[in-house]
Amino acid sequence: MYLLRLALASLANRRFTAFLTAFAIALSVCLLLAVERVRTEARASFASTISGTDLIVGARSGSVNLLLYSVFRIGNATNNIRWDSYQHYAQDPRVKWAIPISLGDSHRGYRVMGTTGDYFSHYQYGRRQHLALSQGREFADDPFEVVLGAEVAEALHYKLGDKLVLAHGVAAISLVKHDDKPFTVVGVLKRTGTPVDRTLHISLAGMEAIHIDWHNGVPARGAGRISADQARGMDLQPAAITAFMLGLNNKIATFSLQREINEYRNEPLLAILPGVALQELWSLMGTAEQALFVVSLFVVLTGLIGMLTAILTSLNERRREMAILRSVGARPWHIAGLLVLEALALAAAGVVAGLGLLYAGIALAQGYVQANYGLYLPLAWPSAHEWTLLAIILGAALLMGSVPAWRAYRQSLADGLSIHL
Amino acid sequence: MSLPLIELQDLVFAWPNQPTLLDIPAFRLDAGEALFLKGPSGSGKTTLLGLLGGVHLPGQGRIRLLGQDLSALGQGARDRFRVDHTGYIFQQFNLLPFLSVRENVELPCRFSRSRAERARQRHGSVDQAATELLAHLGLDHPAMLARRADSLSIGQQQRVAAARALIGQPELVIADEPTSALDADTREAFIRLLFTECRAAGSSLLFVSHDQSLAPLFDRHLSLAELNRAAKPREA
Repeated sequence: MYLLRLALASLANRRFTAFLTAFAIALSVCLLLAVERVRTEARASFASTISGTDLIVGARSGSVNLLLYSVFRIGNATNNIRWDSYQHYAQDPRVKWAIPISLGDSHRGYRVMGTTGDYFSHYQYGRRQHLALSQGREFADDPFEVVLGAEVAEALHYKLGDKLVLAHGVAAISLVKHDDKPFTVVGVLKRTGTPVDRTLHISLAGMEAIHIDWHNGVPARGAGRISADQARGMDLQPAAITAFMLGLNNKIATFSLQREINEYRNEPLLAILPGVALQELWSLMGTAEQALFVVSLFVVLTGLIGMLTAILTSLNERRREMAILRSVGARPWHIAGLLVLEALALAAAGVVAGLGLLYAGIALAQGYVQANYGLYLPLAWPSAHEWTLLAIILGAALLMGSVPAWRAYRQSLADGLSIHL
Repeated sequence: MSLPLIELQDLVFAWPNQPTLLDIPAFRLDAGEALFLKGPSGSGKTTLLGLLGGVHLPGQGRIRLLGQDLSALGQGARDRFRVDHTGYIFQQFNLLPFLSVRENVELPCRFSRSRAERARQRHGSVDQAATELLAHLGLDHPAMLARRADSLSIGQQQRVAAARALIGQPELVIADEPTSALDADTREAFIRLLFTECRAAGSSLLFVSHDQSLAPLFDRHLSLAELNRAAKPREA
């Protein structure tokens, strides 16, 4: 098409402005797509923090709170639940598996979770993936063994056989340490991109053992102290845990069991469906996520307005060009078409360059983002949604291009062939 | 010389909310004629050329080009009619700077099928037509044809503009002060070249200028001020 050739040649003649204009659009497109990708990925990875678990049960509080401390290791439980409540439901015939968890201690800012071997065999995340060890083994009978999440091991440079001391409480600067009962690293989990990576896993017995000589939240002194070896010989059955997770034989029983647990007479309990609670939690953060999206849309709009300004400013100095074209037979709609094509060409160049920037950015940042934020940004073709966004951008450019096109149309009708400007 | 190429009858034109600018009872240009029309700036010269090009329509009266009443045609048809039958040369900066010399010459053939067709009939191809026309006008270096139009001197650019006006043999070539940017020597040479090429293409030439010294070179010369009744009171 000859008009396109003319439009491109005219743009090439103003290549510096054209380049800057297209570059601004490219940056805005790249930003929009990057936000979009991170958003989609964050939502997906958030939703896949936990999977395969039918119910999470804790002391009665709020569902988001329970989800936050049991899955995300954020905040604290208001209350513990009794071991026999756990036993009661763990042995229910509808229950396929049960994982008790006990929280409350930490190690250099990372949460410690007491659990059982069932955690390694039944806990699932992502698309029904099980936890796997990258080195070593699960904790066994000895209570003072710890299995580290991938990030903990990497950030604190622990290797198998290292000894570490847990701290009481979850404050960043730990007050009291369980330094009389050090733990040995026996295993490191593979990276999951979930809070599991930031957790130290010990057995419930270990959790019990480090607190066995504590009374009213303070360690015993002098003769009251119980050494690690003494503790090994004692009964380390906990009396209370923080929460437990249930997997059921039949999903249909989920709601009735949930109701039952919520109405449990012996202790006030709360059972939540992780999927529903996750959604509830996401809807809290959804506003921020949408705000980010809206902001990036406005950045694209700014880029396009920049283009509009650049084309409109050029109109006056290009009256001669228009008059020459008119004198060689271009009709006013040719002139208008020329400007629309110009806008489209700039936007298309911006979109292509934006995609290029995005992929270059993803290729560069992929490893870093995954390591630090647990987000896997795929180097994949744009999704249908992204194509739609790009098409909308081009459509908007077309719409914007019609403004200078209309002006040039009027102008070329008025100027006619007069070239003396 | 039977059918007049251009015929104006009782033409009256005024811009909105302004006094009458043109009032021409009669004017004609015959086929094959080279006419010098003297018109100083501000005399309504540009407006007259706009009327002849069908860009504007007269308030009263008639403009016939090749017997066709321009008022009877729609806007798009007038545009097509103009490029099919008229070639233009302007004062200076006639060319699109970002296109090559050759592309500039070929422009009318891009917008007018009949001019492209005539160029093919006479020269074999549009490409060939541009090459030959430029060679006749003294621009025969192949490398020059591929250069950007604005890399040429003013004199060369005007010759390129002439080639563009002549390609596809339009019946009429309108030259609006084409020599005002040229020095005296090249001026006359350019006009003679233009005559030769117009004759070869069978085109009539309407040459508009304020420079009376060029008038003797032409078959016939007129003054717009004499033609235009609206101009007389101002001169008196």
